[in-house]
Amino acid sequence: MSNYAWLIKREFWENRAIWVVPCIIGVLLILSALFGHIQFLDLNTPQQSRVVGQMTLSAFGATFFVVMSIYSTWYLLDCLYADRKDRSVLFWKSLPISDTTTVLSKLLVALIVIPLVYFVAADITTLLVAFVVSVRASAALGGAMWHADLWLQLQVLWLYVIVTTAIWFLPVSAWLMVISAWAKRAVMLWSILPPLALYLVERWFFGTHYVLTVLGHRLLGYGPQAFHSGADSSFWMTTTFNNDQITTPSSIWAMMDPGSFFSSPQTWIGAVIGAALVVGAIQLRLRRTEI
Amino acid sequence: MPALIEARDLTKKYGSFVALDRANFTIQSGRIVGLIGPNGAGKTSALRAILGLTAYEGQLQVLGREPFRERALLMNDACFIADVAVMPSWMRVDQAIDFVAGVHPRFRRDRALGLLAKTQIAGKRRIRELSKGMKTQVHLALTMAIDARLLVLDEPTLGLDILARRGFYDALVDDYMDESRTILITTHQVEEVENLLTDVMFIDKGHIVLDCSVEEIATRYAAVAVTADHIDAARAEKPFYEHRTLGKTVLYFEQPRSEALARFGEVHTPSVSDLFVAKLSGGAQ
Repeated sequence: MSNYAWLIKREFWENRAIWVVPCIIGVLLILSALFGHIQFLDLNTPQQSRVVGQMTLSAFGATFFVVMSIYSTWYLLDCLYADRKDRSVLFWKSLPISDTTTVLSKLLVALIVIPLVYFVAADITTLLVAFVVSVRASAALGGAMWHADLWLQLQVLWLYVIVTTAIWFLPVSAWLMVISAWAKRAVMLWSILPPLALYLVERWFFGTHYVLTVLGHRLLGYGPQAFHSGADSSFWMTTTFNNDQITTPSSIWAMMDPGSFFSSPQTWIGAVIGAALVVGAIQLRLRRTEI
Repeated sequence: MPALIEARDLTKKYGSFVALDRANFTIQSGRIVGLIGPNGAGKTSALRAILGLTAYEGQLQVLGREPFRERALLMNDACFIADVAVMPSWMRVDQAIDFVAGVHPRFRRDRALGLLAKTQIAGKRRIRELSKGMKTQVHLALTMAIDARLLVLDEPTLGLDILARRGFYDALVDDYMDESRTILITTHQVEEVENLLTDVMFIDKGHIVLDCSVEEIATRYAAVAVTADHIDAARAEKPFYEHRTLGKTVLYFEQPRSEALARFGEVHTPSVSDLFVAKLSGGAQ
């Protein structure tokens, strides 16, 4: 096994939450499917079935994704700080692994490995919940979650989200690593203070708010950048259930907008800044062995 | 054969504080070198520089490499234990063995297991559950199972009881040391290591104040216990340090003329620890 494989294994040993947390979410969702109240919807048409399936699967995916984002943020802030705090950094540095390899392995875990773990957990959970719902409620409702093409589209959506969030949020992730490699304490506070200070200084002295615009766009602009805005009416689809009408995107495929994401200068400017911050984190890791 | 470690004008500053001030030293292969100095003298800075853990000014070559730039490569042939036990607390003993075996080409698992078998430590225990002494034993077992050319030990036996310390140093000399290896060791317990050292380096305020082999001490230094009636005559020989004890005064001489000194009392070679005290206290005079 290469050093990267061992370093990733090490992160799983150290941070058991990487797989324990998605397991807990999965178990909770399955328990709620087992014992919770399931709304009986009459699914009479294939379109109704698809829409309910799409909404359920998306809701499950979003649940996993939100928890994952919170955990990854914490992981990035902690990953180069924890071993300085307990002084085991000297043990790691006594091994023939470069600081570049160490930092990149942790970035890889945060951006790719953790999302993949949640992705697999979400898939297994939806499979089990679909089975439980089929048995408890109605085969039609359970079956709604198992349209093969819908399921396949969701796999592609997950992979698309993993790749695009990794690129879009690289400057944010790398910034958290810089703080993790640098701060003597209070990593959370230090990660927020410098941007906040920049914003306030700019506001007081120049009366402008470029910093806020740039940061806001980075933190909130992922959705508009990677997905269709829905301005085009053909994007939407309305389905009628008994007395209700529900409007949803016509398909998961239709939501993704890789063309706009990968051709936007914003994407690549951010990536370059992110790469520079990763280099900074490596340089700090080289020099900072103690708290 | 080139020196194992070669430092020229090695300097390390922390802000305005100079921890190492143009230090020059050379360490040859196959030696057991004690780096001895008071707290804050620059011992740790020197070791950190040698191990590539800190940036420095001046020239430094360890095993033909620049430590700070090439730490990962250097660690294929060098290993170290820095101060107190620093094993990661969340790790299990068997995970630590697996990990080091996985990433270190010169790690010998059978050797580590053999060393651990002599202790009471089970592989499934987590490091955080172990006593301080046991943590050190695990770390030592891992480190001594690496076929390294240079072993650096910074206060290796801190937290160990006297039996474990003896055991450690016996194992170091009997099982580990051979001509192909070099050991650089720092400790406060000078008495504990002075019998196994082949060379000593004294460091004070960032300067190397003594760098010689243990045999050389006998030719370069002498101590004489002088009674009160000879004291003035003995002082004329320019001792660099005096130490009064039990009614006698022990005078320390550099480059001694032993025949001349024999008139004042019994001449003997100072122990490493006595020489250390003499050298560092005398240097201030």
